[in-house]
Amino acid sequence: MKNYDTIVNDLAPKKFGKRGTIWTTFLLIIIIAGFVAYIDQLRKGLEVTNLRDYALWGIYISNFVFFVATSFVGSVTVAILRLTNNTWRTPLVRIAEIISLACIIMAGLTIIIDMGRPDRMLNLFIHARLQSPITWDVIIVPTYVALSFLLLYFPLLPDLAILKKYFEKSKPKLSKWYGILSLNWTGSVAQKAIQSKSIKIIAIMIIPVGILLQTIDAWLFSTTYRVGWDSTNMGAYFISGAFVAGVGALVTLMYIIRKVRKLEDYITEFHFDKLGKYLALACLTYLYFNVNEYLIPIFTAPVQEDIHLNTLISGEYAPLFWFAQIVGLILPIILLLFKSGRKPLSMFIIGMMVVVGSWWKRYIIVTPTLLHPFLPIEGVPESWHHYFPSMHEWLITASNLATALLIITLMVRFIPVVPIQRTADEGEETLKTNNKVES
Amino acid sequence: MKNQLKIRFIFLALIGLFLSSAGFQDLYAQTKVKKNKVRLKVNYFKIMDHEVYFKIQAGARVGSDNVNVSNIDLAVINEVDGEEFELGTATTNMKGESKFVLENFNLLKPDSSNFYNVTVSFKGNDAFTKASKSISFKDAAIKAELITKDSVNYIKATLIDKSIDSVMDNMSLTVQAQRLFKPLYIGDEFNVTDENGMIVVPIEEGIPGIDGNLNLEVVLMDSDDFGTVKAILVAPVGTPIVDESTFDQRKMWSSRNKTPIFLLIFPNLIILAMWGLIIYLTTNLFKISKS
Repeated sequence: MKNYDTIVNDLAPKKFGKRGTIWTTFLLIIIIAGFVAYIDQLRKGLEVTNLRDYALWGIYISNFVFFVATSFVGSVTVAILRLTNNTWRTPLVRIAEIISLACIIMAGLTIIIDMGRPDRMLNLFIHARLQSPITWDVIIVPTYVALSFLLLYFPLLPDLAILKKYFEKSKPKLSKWYGILSLNWTGSVAQKAIQSKSIKIIAIMIIPVGILLQTIDAWLFSTTYRVGWDSTNMGAYFISGAFVAGVGALVTLMYIIRKVRKLEDYITEFHFDKLGKYLALACLTYLYFNVNEYLIPIFTAPVQEDIHLNTLISGEYAPLFWFAQIVGLILPIILLLFKSGRKPLSMFIIGMMVVVGSWWKRYIIVTPTLLHPFLPIEGVPESWHHYFPSMHEWLITASNLATALLIITLMVRFIPVVPIQRTADEGEETLKTNNKVES
Repeated sequence: MKNQLKIRFIFLALIGLFLSSAGFQDLYAQTKVKKNKVRLKVNYFKIMDHEVYFKIQAGARVGSDNVNVSNIDLAVINEVDGEEFELGTATTNMKGESKFVLENFNLLKPDSSNFYNVTVSFKGNDAFTKASKSISFKDAAIKAELITKDSVNYIKATLIDKSIDSVMDNMSLTVQAQRLFKPLYIGDEFNVTDENGMIVVPIEEGIPGIDGNLNLEVVLMDSDDFGTVKAILVAPVGTPIVDESTFDQRKMWSSRNKTPIFLLIFPNLIILAMWGLIIYLTTNLFKISKS
């Protein structure tokens, strides 16, 4: 059993090493390239993208849906684990909350990028129609950002106070900042009561808000009468997909942080095994909804829907469709059934497969439908019949992903990724229990 | 000093470039541009008791493309036995089209064979050579009326050659109802006039019309000798259209100020509850800070 000082020393944020600096520089280069492309998009308009009359939602909206899905895991999964008092959650909750906050912030920014004219952002509020799913999205995304931030911040307060003390002599400036952010946390009974009550409220509240977020995201599509989107399955389908994308991202990041920060004693194989089972369940649920979404229409689809399905299953989008289904879903399920598949390295590889598969899955949901309108596409240039993102779109999207990773990287750099106070408290409790058993 | 020399050199080079390009512009202006030939198409239309007009279309072949020639002035001339009378002028729009309405049909003079000869001419400009197009037509008229026999409504129409004031037999007329996108044929597509120059076409029941009125047309379509002649008859024999518009109702597809009441109440309550709690949680942060 580690003592308090060792735990603080292990879990306190560390300065970047050589690899950390290279990684951050790499992200900054991508962000700058994307920023330059975005400035050009602002100057010339969305003309620089390959978005046209038909494919009017492209890679930006796919990326937005991916961010929204990934953000679901942190808050909702953590909230469920908190409310059900699962103690094994401790080393992974903060990582999940960080992913959640970074992704939902970037989801909001991606929508603004897709608008082409960010100066008209205010119109979304001034001219909002409550009947429009776009308005629902405009309301729910900031709400989820606020809640995700609070869910991360409240449990962080004791750790910030610990860090203030820890860095008092070695880094006084940093210690001062931790002091300000810890809001004079002393661990008094009154403070603990307010904190505990607040966390409980957020944990209860964030579950329906998270479900609302995913459902509204799904309704953006299903309230638009288009082949491939016109489905009552869409809300549940998106929620199950969000679990897959989110847990995949969590597993991947957990492995990297564990390796880089040498946290093998805190994030153990046991945690990967538990998350592996959780991911397998999420993948199976999502597979079930995929069967509902694609198999049943094969039997009942009218002509337009049939053309759309053929494009996915054996046509232009078949490679991406089968990649997302096999690599992103079926293979992970098979691998996760074996104990060796739930070991850290295997889980990292599976997590990557799931995340990449999930990203392309969103692309498959958004683009092919737009290219299959009910009225035939006529009298437009041949290039409008197809869509593949332009270099501007790729750069901006890569930059968005890099910004999300940079937010995560900076949070990992400056806040404890494994809760210090809670880990110490749990250690103490275990010690007490062991002593009782011995006596 | 070196820098100053460089700046002077750049300045002189720019002036030189400017002057040389100005000189080239003069050269370009002197180059002869090949003019394209305008093609004119003229059609004559007569709407009974309403208007008489000429529909003019100007086009040209530029390179390998057929283009509409817009914004050119055209003269409309009546030719009578070698004499010319200008009826007026017309200008083509962006589609290369122009509608020249003849204010008074009596301004037109026929030739000795009772044909009216009209020429549309273009004088030419910097881009296009001069062009003209002539058409000849005789005056015709259609008399249409609505009759009811054994509770069945019919449209009865007679076609008359006004130049000899006689009915025309064996001519093809079309009966149609005006619709939004294209007319709806009533009876056969072509109805041939009998020896009395007459057609009788039954009007089927159930054709919808505003207030039950149908705008029925009897048309002599694009005839070589008579152009297009049309008689329009408003017949109260249709089924009245019932306005099912939800424009003024509070619906999901209505405008912002017609949002359904339930959608104003419940989402706003949820938003208030959510943000109320978020504000409460934020105040808790202050409480922690103060306690």
